[in-house]
Amino acid sequence: MANRNVKLKFDELSSTLGTFKGLEIQIGRIMDEEWEEPMGPTPMPSVSTLRSWDRKLLNRYKPFYMPFCDLCCLCTYGKCDLTGDKKGACGISMPAQQSRIVLLACCIGAATHAAHGRHMLNHLIQEFGKDTPLVAALNTNVEAPHVRLVCGIKPQTIGDLEEALDYVETQIVQLVAAAHTGQEGDNIDFESKAFHAGMLDHVALEVADLMQIATLGLPKGDPEAPLAELGYGTINPDKPVIMCIGHNVLPSVDIIDYLMDHDLFDQVEVGGLCCTAHDMSRYNKRSKIVGPISWQLKFIKSGIPDLIVVDEQCIRTDVMDQAKLIGVPVLATSEKSCLGLPDRTHDPAEAVVNDLISGRSPGALVTEPRKVGEIAVKTAMAVRKRRGEKKLVDLGDLKEIASKCRTCMECIRACPNTLPIMDAMTAAKEGDYGPLAELNDLCVGCGRCESACPADLPILTMITQASKDQLVNEKYPIRVGRGAIQDVEIREVGSPIVFGEIPGVVALVGCANYPAGGGDVAAIAEEFLKRRFIVVTSGCSAMNIAMTRDEEGQNLYEKYPGNFDAGGLVNVGSCVSNGHITGAAIKIANIFAKRPLRANYEEIADYIYNRVGAVGVAWGAMSQKAASIAAGCWRLGIPVVVGPHGSKYRRMLLGDQGKEEDWKVFNARDGQEVYVGPAPEHLFYAAETLEEAMVMIAKLAMRPNDTSKGRAVKLSHYIDLHKKHYGAMPDDLHLFVRRGQDVPFTMKDEIMKILEAKGWVEDRIASPDPTLLDRMVRRRE
Amino acid sequence: MFEDIPVDVGIIYEGERIRGRDMQLELGGPRETYKFELVQAKPMDEVEDGKMTIVGKDIKELPEGTNTPFGMIIDVAGAEIEKDLEGVIERRLHEYVNFIEGFMHLNQRYDIQMRLSKKSYQKGFNSFNHLGTVLLRLYKSEMPFIEKMQITFITEPAKVEEWYPRAMGLYEARDARARGMSDDEVDVFYGCSLCQSFAPTHLCVITPQRYANCGAISWFDGRATAKVDPKGPVFEIPKGALIDPVKGEYEQVNKVIRDKSLGEIERVQLYTAFGYPHTSCGCFEGCAFYIPEVDGYGVVHRNYKSKTVNGLDFVTISDLTAGGRQVDGFHGLSIEYMRSPKFLQADGGWDRVVWMPKDIMDRIKEYMPPEIVPKIATEESVQDLDGLKKWLREKSHPIVGRWKAEEEKPKEAAAPQPAQQQAQQFPMAGFTVPTMELPAGALPAAMLQGLPQGVTLKIILKNAKIRAERVIIRAEKE
Repeated sequence: MANRNVKLKFDELSSTLGTFKGLEIQIGRIMDEEWEEPMGPTPMPSVSTLRSWDRKLLNRYKPFYMPFCDLCCLCTYGKCDLTGDKKGACGISMPAQQSRIVLLACCIGAATHAAHGRHMLNHLIQEFGKDTPLVAALNTNVEAPHVRLVCGIKPQTIGDLEEALDYVETQIVQLVAAAHTGQEGDNIDFESKAFHAGMLDHVALEVADLMQIATLGLPKGDPEAPLAELGYGTINPDKPVIMCIGHNVLPSVDIIDYLMDHDLFDQVEVGGLCCTAHDMSRYNKRSKIVGPISWQLKFIKSGIPDLIVVDEQCIRTDVMDQAKLIGVPVLATSEKSCLGLPDRTHDPAEAVVNDLISGRSPGALVTEPRKVGEIAVKTAMAVRKRRGEKKLVDLGDLKEIASKCRTCMECIRACPNTLPIMDAMTAAKEGDYGPLAELNDLCVGCGRCESACPADLPILTMITQASKDQLVNEKYPIRVGRGAIQDVEIREVGSPIVFGEIPGVVALVGCANYPAGGGDVAAIAEEFLKRRFIVVTSGCSAMNIAMTRDEEGQNLYEKYPGNFDAGGLVNVGSCVSNGHITGAAIKIANIFAKRPLRANYEEIADYIYNRVGAVGVAWGAMSQKAASIAAGCWRLGIPVVVGPHGSKYRRMLLGDQGKEEDWKVFNARDGQEVYVGPAPEHLFYAAETLEEAMVMIAKLAMRPNDTSKGRAVKLSHYIDLHKKHYGAMPDDLHLFVRRGQDVPFTMKDEIMKILEAKGWVEDRIASPDPTLLDRMVRRRE
Repeated sequence: MFEDIPVDVGIIYEGERIRGRDMQLELGGPRETYKFELVQAKPMDEVEDGKMTIVGKDIKELPEGTNTPFGMIIDVAGAEIEKDLEGVIERRLHEYVNFIEGFMHLNQRYDIQMRLSKKSYQKGFNSFNHLGTVLLRLYKSEMPFIEKMQITFITEPAKVEEWYPRAMGLYEARDARARGMSDDEVDVFYGCSLCQSFAPTHLCVITPQRYANCGAISWFDGRATAKVDPKGPVFEIPKGALIDPVKGEYEQVNKVIRDKSLGEIERVQLYTAFGYPHTSCGCFEGCAFYIPEVDGYGVVHRNYKSKTVNGLDFVTISDLTAGGRQVDGFHGLSIEYMRSPKFLQADGGWDRVVWMPKDIMDRIKEYMPPEIVPKIATEESVQDLDGLKKWLREKSHPIVGRWKAEEEKPKEAAAPQPAQQQAQQFPMAGFTVPTMELPAGALPAAMLQGLPQGVTLKIILKNAKIRAERVIIRAEKE
């Protein structure tokens, strides 16, 4: 629909108006306005366009800093000590420096998704043509909510997405520039810029995922997307094993295609790790998902892979060393991660294969996906043959190895979760490998213990070997990532959301840096599924949810349906599919309320913030991408809860529930400013324990717009979880009960007593048509 | 509130499912022919508050895994309780029973299936008296107008069987009364502003002959809800003077709508899709839509996933009408309202309906005029508008009579056509021929003024370079 840089040249043009000779017309951009919706106020917002909206949020949710590092060492003035009231040589304060690092993290995250999207776009346009229709999901008209909302364009072909990506890229440059020494100095402005990066990130996510959905035949919002296999034990080590690690599915697609074209799929195992695995299973459910990022090192060390193919993001940067240990080659496929390997993209495939098999080259960089397909399959098959019978890791007698342990505790100090590694070694010395095996489920697989060990014990490999029996049986079904939420599903949940039968939407997303294993994520998912929340998931979290079974051997994907409805467990897919989760919130505003979507960010965010009880949970958030995804939620007014490691993002965004003046909104019906209570109470919260997180999630699902029934349902869950985990009633109930009808009537007596004691007065907390935006007030003429 | 009950009670147990192997006891269910739950409004002196009677065996007397016929009769009394509220009170049972930890309730009336889990039984929930106590307290807590309540549980098969036909008769009478009740018989309608959280200018007007668009609130429900929560979103509208009996327009209704829509909507006519149609929220069950090509209406519901006969799917149709707007040619509705004799009354009722999904037709067939049923097309009989026209002619659908009348009438009397729909059906055939308008001041005024009449101006541009930042091509609508 949009054409750019159109040039017309006429040697001579005669018309009734006149004759034109040598007429040249150059048009910057032709916009075909088939879209009836008029342009909203903020098409392609620049860095400061939405600053006033950000400040409204940041005024309620003030950054609470937890400096992970007291110093700034970004320029040669430094290191500058910023503790106390000290300022850096450039004048920067501690708060500004912390927020500056948040901004940088969000920029890295957004840039990573944008670069991922750009790679998809360039490659897939070349393969499929830019006019390929952009079909996102079945029964769906609003195919790209973020692109519409932020950019004000309505993409109809994959080529149309380029404009959105161009915009994202130019904005990221502006944001990174703001972090240069001697630029932005105000902490809140840094925060606002981080929000901007988050918003851009979600546009990039959407572009990247829509590209692959539209071209590669991935499920189109199908609630009954097939089940794929997940787990260490799904890989048959007797076959040649190709292990694909990372986030960009294009090389893996060509590996699968090559196997299909040559009728080899039955003879070769293709397994994926991290988000590539999700997208491979979306492409072909016969490919296997080995596991989340935390399985990476352990799986390599198991010796099962015959070839490691890395694309981009979340790959072990020492993958070359690891591959060397098990004697298999590495194929790097992305310019973003060349790993020091020679570029063999333009060499004949056979030559590359021969060099890899013979061990002349430890690996190769091949950036042309088609070529990757051929090289990978041929290499893996030959390497498998060369490696012969013995494949699985076998360090020999663990007891003997463990006896070298000096019990110095360096391993425990190095472990991010202070796991009892030394105790496990001590037990192993006695021939008891149980404690070692138990570590497997808790370990995030970072390998720092091995680096730290002065006796050079292969700790992670020992854990893997000790839990071998358990690992080979590790097989779970997982619902293949379905992509977007259909418009009809959004409409279907409209009435239950209005009536409060659905108490909220919980999105379990992000990485696997869990404090106590992935079982916690499954526990959160189950708790809220039972309570008939809508549970949405993606990435490593979606995998960990699959890895817990009940006594009857069923996991949550088998027990709960995949539709976007109360008690539904929706796996959207990989990291880049996260845009569909926020996209669903945007669509709720657009499809129900008919709030104009086009370039209308503030109004839509205001709507979501005040009305849609969605909460993001990144229990194992680790990466900068997770930071930018969270930032995109914040700007839309969606609170995010992270696990204890999340405090290393340097600050939380906390509301002060006791400060009444912070919790005022306009009543859009009459323009009055009224007190609505602290809902949602926080925008970014790091929970120390699983129990704290569950209570907080239920609490953060409350919104000023809740109907009485909705509030009563939400309060029931909050109170019940609070009682369950803290053994008592919450002491802030009086801030959330607006009128008698809000009180869950099964607990009326008990609650009314508490309210009385707190001096609660009916209707002091208002239930208006809430908005933070003065301009949204409907005033009578 | 439930300290004396051996298990917990709360909204959080609502979604709980009890599978066969976890079940201590099943009451009713598909294996039993005789089962029912019934609420009856009684005079004050006929109800002994708090009384519970068990006819047959109690829970603890039934062996593990038992499946039994079951009847539950709840008698209520209160100064404000009317016969008409029975159904509303009865339907709460589903929710309340499900609130009990380890108790599951499915379906309603003569089709109930209830299960008690082994776990809850082991915790001591072993008597119907527990169930009765919970129900009693929940009812009185949520519906304070219930002053007295007594409950009878029947597990004695012969007694259940004996009661069953009586219960069926009472349901039937209740339904007949509900369906036979007309707008004229009542002085008040009910308004529901719940959906204003999504559609701030929308208000559902609920009358005995028009269910709320969501299909969840009848006039009786409205009456009960307004009683339960007088400050809540459902409220009384005294209907006031009748302005138009056919279109369904009332003076007071208009006044309330003006007020609640903040002046956006001036008037509403309940039984037409043109002029001042009732607005639609975002959660309506279905929609009637005007098809100008045949001068009739199609109807589509939320669960219909394919395209309708004119090529639009439900998503598109609802986008055209949702959000509390008055859009000519669209009539958001509940399935139940299609059973009303006033359905699209002002536009010709069922005689104007030409197409609907088979699924809805099967559901409401018996409430449609029998002669029209075979004449209305479904997705199984026709796929497009040409096919539809053919079908209607072949079946002599009453709409064909209108075509003839139209053809004889002068052209301008044709029915109005909704602009938005037209745009959807006739996508831009091509680009309009571009014209160039020179901006004011582009040519010196003197040059134009000094021209003698009849002389045309010719402009010659040589080596001109025109550079435009952006050119916007917009399809203009009439």
